Amino acid sequence: MGTTASQLGKDLLSEYQELTFLTKQEILLAYKRFSELLSKDEKYVLNERVPMDRILTLPELKSNPFRKRICYVLSTSDSTNGSLTFEDFLDLLTAFSDSATMEIKSHYAFCIFDFDDDGTLDCGDLEKLVNCLTGETDETKLTAEEMRQLISNILEESDIDKDGTVNLSEFQHVISRSPDFVRVHVY
Amino acid sequence: MASYRNGGLFNPAYHDSETLEIDRSKSLHANPYARAERPDEPYSTGHSSGGDGLAGRGPLGGWHGESRRGGESFPMDIASTPSWQRDIHPSRSPPDSPYDRSPPVHLPSAMSGNMTMRWRGMTMRRMSMFPNGDPANEAFAEDAIRNELQNEEQNLIKELIALSTRDQIRAIRDLPMSFDEKKHIRSQVLAVKSKRSRHFTCFAECSENVSLSFRRFGYSVSSARQTLQLWQGIMKEIGSKFGTSVVIYFVFLKWLLMFNIFSFLVNFGFITLPLLVHDTSPKIPPNVSFSGLEILTGAGYFHYTVMYYGGYSNATLHGLVEYDMQLAYFFTISAYMVLCGIALIFNMGSLFMKNYVLADPTSNGAWQLLCSWDFSITNERAVRQRKNNLRVQLKESLSEKAQRERLTLSQQLRHFGVHLGSWLLSTGLAVGCGASIFYLCKYEQQATAAADWSLLQDAETLLVPFVVSLMNLVVPLFYSLFNKFEHYSSQRRQIYALVVRNVLLKMFILAVLCYHWMNVVAKFSCWESIVGQALYRLVIVDFLFLMLGSFFGEFLSNLIGTRLLPRLGVPEFDVARNVLELIYAQTLAWIGIYFSPLLPAIQILKFFILFYLKKVSLIQNCQPPRRSGRAAQMQTIFIALLFFPFFVGALSMVAYTAWSLSPSEHCGPFQGLSSTFSVVGVWMEDLEKIPGSQWAVWIYLNVIRSEIFYYFISLIIVVIIYIFWQVTQGRKQLIRLLKQRIVNDGKDKSFLLDKLQNLQKSHPDRKSQQKNQKRHSKQRPDDLSPTARSNSNAMVQALLARQRLEQEEQTSSTVPSDISSPGALTQAMLARQRAEDQEAGAHRPLSRALAVPAQAWQRAGGQERDEYFSPGFYESPVGASSMVTRRAEDPPSSASSVMMQVMQARQRAEDEERPQRAPAAPQNPAPAGSSALIQAMLARQQAQNEYDDGY
Repeated sequence: MGTTASQLGKDLLSEYQELTFLTKQEILLAYKRFSELLSKDEKYVLNERVPMDRILTLPELKSNPFRKRICYVLSTSDSTNGSLTFEDFLDLLTAFSDSATMEIKSHYAFCIFDFDDDGTLDCGDLEKLVNCLTGETDETKLTAEEMRQLISNILEESDIDKDGTVNLSEFQHVISRSPDFVRVHVY
Repeated sequence: MASYRNGGLFNPAYHDSETLEIDRSKSLHANPYARAERPDEPYSTGHSSGGDGLAGRGPLGGWHGESRRGGESFPMDIASTPSWQRDIHPSRSPPDSPYDRSPPVHLPSAMSGNMTMRWRGMTMRRMSMFPNGDPANEAFAEDAIRNELQNEEQNLIKELIALSTRDQIRAIRDLPMSFDEKKHIRSQVLAVKSKRSRHFTCFAECSENVSLSFRRFGYSVSSARQTLQLWQGIMKEIGSKFGTSVVIYFVFLKWLLMFNIFSFLVNFGFITLPLLVHDTSPKIPPNVSFSGLEILTGAGYFHYTVMYYGGYSNATLHGLVEYDMQLAYFFTISAYMVLCGIALIFNMGSLFMKNYVLADPTSNGAWQLLCSWDFSITNERAVRQRKNNLRVQLKESLSEKAQRERLTLSQQLRHFGVHLGSWLLSTGLAVGCGASIFYLCKYEQQATAAADWSLLQDAETLLVPFVVSLMNLVVPLFYSLFNKFEHYSSQRRQIYALVVRNVLLKMFILAVLCYHWMNVVAKFSCWESIVGQALYRLVIVDFLFLMLGSFFGEFLSNLIGTRLLPRLGVPEFDVARNVLELIYAQTLAWIGIYFSPLLPAIQILKFFILFYLKKVSLIQNCQPPRRSGRAAQMQTIFIALLFFPFFVGALSMVAYTAWSLSPSEHCGPFQGLSSTFSVVGVWMEDLEKIPGSQWAVWIYLNVIRSEIFYYFISLIIVVIIYIFWQVTQGRKQLIRLLKQRIVNDGKDKSFLLDKLQNLQKSHPDRKSQQKNQKRHSKQRPDDLSPTARSNSNAMVQALLARQRLEQEEQTSSTVPSDISSPGALTQAMLARQRAEDQEAGAHRPLSRALAVPAQAWQRAGGQERDEYFSPGFYESPVGASSMVTRRAEDPPSSASSVMMQVMQARQRAEDEERPQRAPAAPQNPAPAGSSALIQAMLARQQAQNEYDDGY
């Protein structure tokens, strides 16, 4: 603990505290967890990118059906390979922490569900979402007819302006009734 | 034009108009009507004969195109400054002065919401625009977008600087951006701040340092608080394995535990402690000794301790100050009950606000998919199980929906019969339980009256609590059995039915017990202590049964499910039943607070042990619930149930005791009084003798004891409730109207986009881009809608304003203005058409050529009219037209609208597409645009190129 604290530095730590919803202990713990993901020779932790495969070995993300999307959405890497820096990692933690605002949670959730990154949940996104939720193997998949009906139900209920897609504000409208909506516990 | 540019920078949808802006500056000299009309009019297939006749007629003068556009730029200007920004910064200076300090005239929360709104729009747009689409095409648009983003960033930073440090930090933290972006914003804000503060003395630096250290202190306090929070880790562990709906049980348990700790502290501190300090000698008769059974029965030795009402005296304690036990007892209990009530109401109110105000029963399916994934679950097995459950649930709900439509009358009747039967049966069962307890109490009373107190007698007192707890354990099992035979259309109804039945059962049992205590026991000497003992026994036996219940209910059925009958499977953790048990236990403690002030201590112990017991039992024996309801809504229901009927019942029981029953004459703090409440009267009589306290007596006589006061209070409350009810009705209506408007706007958007698409389809060399175009046209409305929604009526007003302007230009025009939102579009178009007709009439040589667009407009108008006009859409003209005049006179104050810009884009696109269709091989094939609007713009550029080539 002491060594990690000195590595992070007081100013940096307080900056992290200001910019995220995490407390000091949480940031230090996150730092520890993150530096464990790095291999031995990558000494300077803050600038290093951890590839997605290694991030996904975290037990908290290992079984999440949206794990890859989560990495892609939060990665700031130019090559969109889902690799995370420490700051991206903090972003991930703050987005899923209990104290994050609904605004931030719904924003990230929307991005996670928006599989093709076009800024709206259309039928393709919804289909992928359903497959993620129910499992993608053949015997667990819904039939095409069921899928079609399900998606039309969803659109009927949540697509307020009837343009055939669910946009961010419609999405937020739906989840505004569910305050216990996005949580992941990394601790 | 300049004002347009400035205003546009603030517009959240600026990038849409930006592309047009670039284009416009280039095309001022261009002639959009240079080419002849193509016969196949794409957007008016049914009416193309007019276009045919006019094909090939003379080119329009460029000046005319310009003048028309000049007219347009006015409403464009109206649209370009968003109203919300105007509201917030009434005196905004141009964006290039970064040190502008316009005082914020708004709440920080509104501000941050606003900023996040904007940033959301930006980031979404950025996301949707940059990653796909080929760069060549976007090259010119990208600069503009980047410019716009920078400007928005500047504005954001400026807004942030105006905030106080605390709000600033919060606002930055609340931005939905990546860490890097936040850091960037923060560093810029800090840079500006430090630049500014350099001019100040070291005082500013000092205060900065102090505030920094305060902030750091605040962080460490909050992190310390988090580590101190009880059972944080356990809750997370449970959440990761069983999901949020199970965590709710534990959160509720913890909440009740806190409640009891509070009430124990209050009771112990204000009632018991003064007595113990004053008088340490126990008042236990010498022939009574502690035998051990008391722990179960609460009688015997405990009877004489401060555990019960009887252990307190009515004396005034003379220590450092005079301490009147009567008053202390009365006020502590009443204050505690009032505080409990307030805490419950506030909790319930806030939960209701969060979970039910926006609730819409129809949107269950969307909820199921969009927010049902519980990100807190990290356990591999739990994830698999949850996926399975979700799939089953989805399939069921789909088949249910299909089934419900096919249900015949006889089936419906049968379902109704089953429901009625099970309701009758369950209510009958509850009533039977109540009756049997009533007779049991009677029997017990006779038995105890006959014999002396002995150990055996003590043990016999456990009979009633035993039977009560047994009923509480067994009857709910029957209820769940009934539930299996009933077919509920939705799972939520099923849970509600189960909860209501269980609540009825518990209410009947408690009501019978209370009746017995009030009417039979109240005649004995020192009856309050006897009631206290009965409650003590109930609490203890209930605890034992809870433990037994989790042993038999969960451990044994787990054994049976895994070893003997695998068909049954591992038991689920029934959240509703368990929470109801907690509510029942807490009600006992509330009723007992008057009779046994230290009962919360027992309750604390009970809940504490129960937490660990349930945790172990859950992790060892149970599987996550197959059907998880909405966790937050369930929580609301549970707290509402705790308040009504249980808390209200307990409160009325205690109030009845205090007001109407005469306290026992030989023990307790209120001996010798006619009722508990009369202690206040006695106090007031004492107060009258003390000078200076007349006001308290006056209040007592004229407020507390006067019916007129209560009459007025209830009258006022009724009036307020009525007003609020009316306001609610109004809001509901407003919501309905706004929803309708959103739907209409959506239709408008899709209509316009269809038009654009059709235009491109009809153009031969656009074929290759169709796919791309389609994709973008899909995404287009969504980029717009966050702002379009908030400003949806702005579009209507802007259109009306334009219409009015054009009407004023030519007095001969007779456009009807009695329109509401969907018609406005049409009307505006008709008005434009008429205006152009007029102008065409004035400029003779051009008239025939102009007739083309005019008729096109008319056709477009006609189409839209067909689409949108339904009888309900006509509204009073007065409001609309007055609004229009206001808008027309005061253009800058008009609201912006993205739709507005789409409209204009469409107009321009149509204007330009038409002449451009004639050439067979355009030299400048337009690349795929990032949006439909860019496409439209490109089309226009192409038209110009062709026009230039024509010269």
